[in-house]
Amino acid sequence: MAQIELENITKRYGEKTALDHISLCVRDNEFFVLFGPAGAGKTTLLKTIAGIEFPQEGLVKINGKTVNQVEPMNRNVSMVFENYALYPQLSVYDNIAFPMRSRLYKKDEAYIKSAVDRVTKMLNISNLLDRRPVQLSNGQRQRVAIGRCLVREPNVFLMDEPLAHLDAKLRHFMREELKEMQSSFNTTTIYVTHDYMEAMSLADRIAVLNNGKFEQTGTAHEMYYEPANEFVAKLFGEPEINLFPAEPYEEDGVLKLRAFSKDTSLIPRGDVSAALRENGGKTVDVGIRGADIDFSFENRGDGWVRGSVYACEPIGNKVIVTVTVAETQVRVVAPNSTKAELDSDIYLRFHTEDLLYFDEMTKESIGRSGGKRPAEKTKQAEGVVETWHS
Amino acid sequence: MNQNKRTAGSLLGALGRNVVLIVYALFALFPLIWMVLCSFKSDVQMYNTVFRFTPTLENYRNVLFGTDYFRAFFQNLLVSGVAVVITIVAGVPIAYALARYDFRKKEDVAFTILSFKFAPEILVCLPVFLIFQKIGLYDTYFGLIWVYQLVTMPLVIWVVRGYFEDISVEIEQAAELDGYRWYEIFLKTLVPLIKPGLVAAGLLAFIFAWNDFTFPLILSGFNVQTITITSMRYIASDTVHYGQVAVAATIAVLPEVIVCLFIQKHLVRGLSFGAVKG
Amino acid sequence: MQKVSTPKKSDPAGRAGPPENEVPKNIRMRPYFIIAPGMIILIGIMIPFFMAIFLSFTNYSFKNINWHLVWLKNWIGMFKDAEFYHSLLVTLEYGILATGVQMILGSVIALLLRKNTLFNKILKVLFTFPLMVAPAIAVLIWQLMTSNSVGVLEKFLNLIGVFNFPWASSAKTAMFTAVLIDTWVNLPFVLLLVLAGIQSLPKSPFEAAQVDGAGAWFTFKTLTFPMLKPFMYIALLFRLMAALQEFGIIFALSKGGPGDSLMNMSLTAYMEAFKYSKVGASLPYLLVLWVIINYSAKAIVKRQRALAKQAQGY
Repeated sequence: MAQIELENITKRYGEKTALDHISLCVRDNEFFVLFGPAGAGKTTLLKTIAGIEFPQEGLVKINGKTVNQVEPMNRNVSMVFENYALYPQLSVYDNIAFPMRSRLYKKDEAYIKSAVDRVTKMLNISNLLDRRPVQLSNGQRQRVAIGRCLVREPNVFLMDEPLAHLDAKLRHFMREELKEMQSSFNTTTIYVTHDYMEAMSLADRIAVLNNGKFEQTGTAHEMYYEPANEFVAKLFGEPEINLFPAEPYEEDGVLKLRAFSKDTSLIPRGDVSAALRENGGKTVDVGIRGADIDFSFENRGDGWVRGSVYACEPIGNKVIVTVTVAETQVRVVAPNSTKAELDSDIYLRFHTEDLLYFDEMTKESIGRSGGKRPAEKTKQAEGVVETWHS
Repeated sequence: MNQNKRTAGSLLGALGRNVVLIVYALFALFPLIWMVLCSFKSDVQMYNTVFRFTPTLENYRNVLFGTDYFRAFFQNLLVSGVAVVITIVAGVPIAYALARYDFRKKEDVAFTILSFKFAPEILVCLPVFLIFQKIGLYDTYFGLIWVYQLVTMPLVIWVVRGYFEDISVEIEQAAELDGYRWYEIFLKTLVPLIKPGLVAAGLLAFIFAWNDFTFPLILSGFNVQTITITSMRYIASDTVHYGQVAVAATIAVLPEVIVCLFIQKHLVRGLSFGAVKG
Repeated sequence: MQKVSTPKKSDPAGRAGPPENEVPKNIRMRPYFIIAPGMIILIGIMIPFFMAIFLSFTNYSFKNINWHLVWLKNWIGMFKDAEFYHSLLVTLEYGILATGVQMILGSVIALLLRKNTLFNKILKVLFTFPLMVAPAIAVLIWQLMTSNSVGVLEKFLNLIGVFNFPWASSAKTAMFTAVLIDTWVNLPFVLLLVLAGIQSLPKSPFEAAQVDGAGAWFTFKTLTFPMLKPFMYIALLFRLMAALQEFGIIFALSKGGPGDSLMNMSLTAYMEAFKYSKVGASLPYLLVLWVIINYSAKAIVKRQRALAKQAQGY
């Protein structure tokens, strides 16, 4: 159990900056997810916490103590590597036992046996104990790697895309197992993934990392409903959020938005109008999720926008209908039984209370209705770190 | 109709291929067979028989017991063996450093080490001869072993470096996190993984050292002899006992052929200094 | 917070800063410790090389105890000496002949062995035996074969009416004999390398070519050969560099003779130093040889790297 802090960490590899003045605080026992596209710096972040990589600037703290000078083996962290990093010449049993045989974390053989048995039973690999990694499938190797990580009682579990190479069903199963394990182990966990469903279902908090900087940190709910910018908004949700430009104009004292080649108006809720006006009346990007759009094959009158069906994809429990509205494509989530003919007319109505507004230039969030401004991005770069009391 | 033409063509091709291969096989292997045959021929029979003769062990007896060839054989073994052991102990860490650490001019350093292989041995030999005379290393085991490093080090370093590069660095990092010190990681994790390549490189380096001609010629005299030099004396003498020459050659070649069979799998990688991953 | 740049793992020149931010010292120093013994040996090997350069400017000799710098006298003497140019010619002739024959024959035989049948696999192992033989021993073996009195080749040649073929005792045939022995020993090297290249070629382009109806020669010309070029260049590199400075085979065969027909630069330098005791004068030969070899090697490696990239499609 431990609280992990990063203060103003910068890590460069030659010309490339992998982490750019990152600050972070992970609470004790928290399941913290690092989420972001490939190359964002997630693995580098984990390795910096583990001590395998040394930052050019900044401090790494475990339980309040600076550990920059502490060697990885003394930091008492346990890690699952993305490419498993299993010892090829050892059996599965010896691989998992390896951490408990080092001088530092030495345990007697009886303890080792019980620990290995416990973990392999949980991961359903107890029948593979004698095999070498080369004789296992990817999924089995991944579970051995997870097993090796779990046999110790470290300050923190660091997991780098541990479920990435498993098939969908196994991934789903393991997700639940991990969450169960983590709460029973009572250990801080930092978990890296680029699968947003994994992130949302497992995390206490999520941090979105992009190009070495945090885009947003917060709960899954905040990520989904109050994204700090378009990048974050696009990362979460399937189908991807619909974004299109809209021009504000005044009519009878009410702020309205013109969208879709100027013959449609959207009326934002009153509480956002102030924010929109503050923005200077510039064109904004409007975002709306596919599930927040009503559709009908008949024109129901005012407030309904006309478009034509471009594609219709049933994907199991729902259907995604892609609609072309004046050169923009809008993805709408429809119930399972929907059938739509290509190129037929279709009418859409947007739930204006669910609209998200972004600055067209900076791509940052202006607001949404429900009154709240989005949570401010975590303060960084000036070296101010939020401290949490355990 | 077409079928027949094609089969005829491919038959001809197969015939041609086999003919060429057989001719080359004769070229490559017959000298060795002849050498072994001659080693069993008495002096008299050398002149008037070709393939049909009565074998005799006389030559072997003469060479092994009548000359110091045996001694030269073991000296060769000793010098080459110790040289390779030293190369491995000192060179493997360098191979590791070249594989893992990053520093400016790394490739230049690596290429310089490789270029030792291409430098004319005599170029190094002459000054070394002078130095050795001065500091008394001429005609000593130590001197020859030191100089053999020129031949063995580049090979071992370049080949083993390749094997290190094949191991993902994360295995070392995982062992670090598991609580092992760096030398424990090296011995317990890395060495077992490079062992086959290391053995092959070591054996190949042994062969290079065993075969070397220039260094023993110039830098050793009576005290330390290698069989490459000793064998030469056989031809230079007045009455040439061809049978004994054949024995000398056979004994010289035997260890290498045996080693060759063991390292077949890594032979290409070793011979090309890691450039080709056969 | 003070902005401090932390030294990379192997960079010793770390600037001072808040100590808690630095890479721990024992980790920084570690690389140097482990390479120390090896570096000592390597540097020890380089010392003679620099000595050689220095001595080439002296008149060091085994006869005189006193020696002094003669600056460029040795060098100029060498460039004026016809013997130098003759040795240069012999060096190049031997190097190019031996390498050329080995490259062509070796590649051809490798192509013939490309199918992975049991027969081919056995042949491949057998063919590597000559490669293991020491050059001097190889000379012995061939002398057994070619001896005018007891050699089996002599007997065969007699059958077709050739008697007392001079092999290494005539200036006209000495080069041929030396190249023959060199080829016997070293052709398997080219063979192995090209064969390894063939076996590492990806199957899919060839399958595609088959489907597209490409003929055997066309496939070879456009696919096989270009993809094999990087491997052939490596073989070329090793063989050429070795052949240019070949000493063992020639010395064991005829000590450079008959006459000076096989006196390449290595041999000439050796004679200069040990027969005529003119050490200082012999070194320029070797240094010139070394320059030729070094820069040819660099050029070949450069070309090989470019070809390897090309073969992968860059």
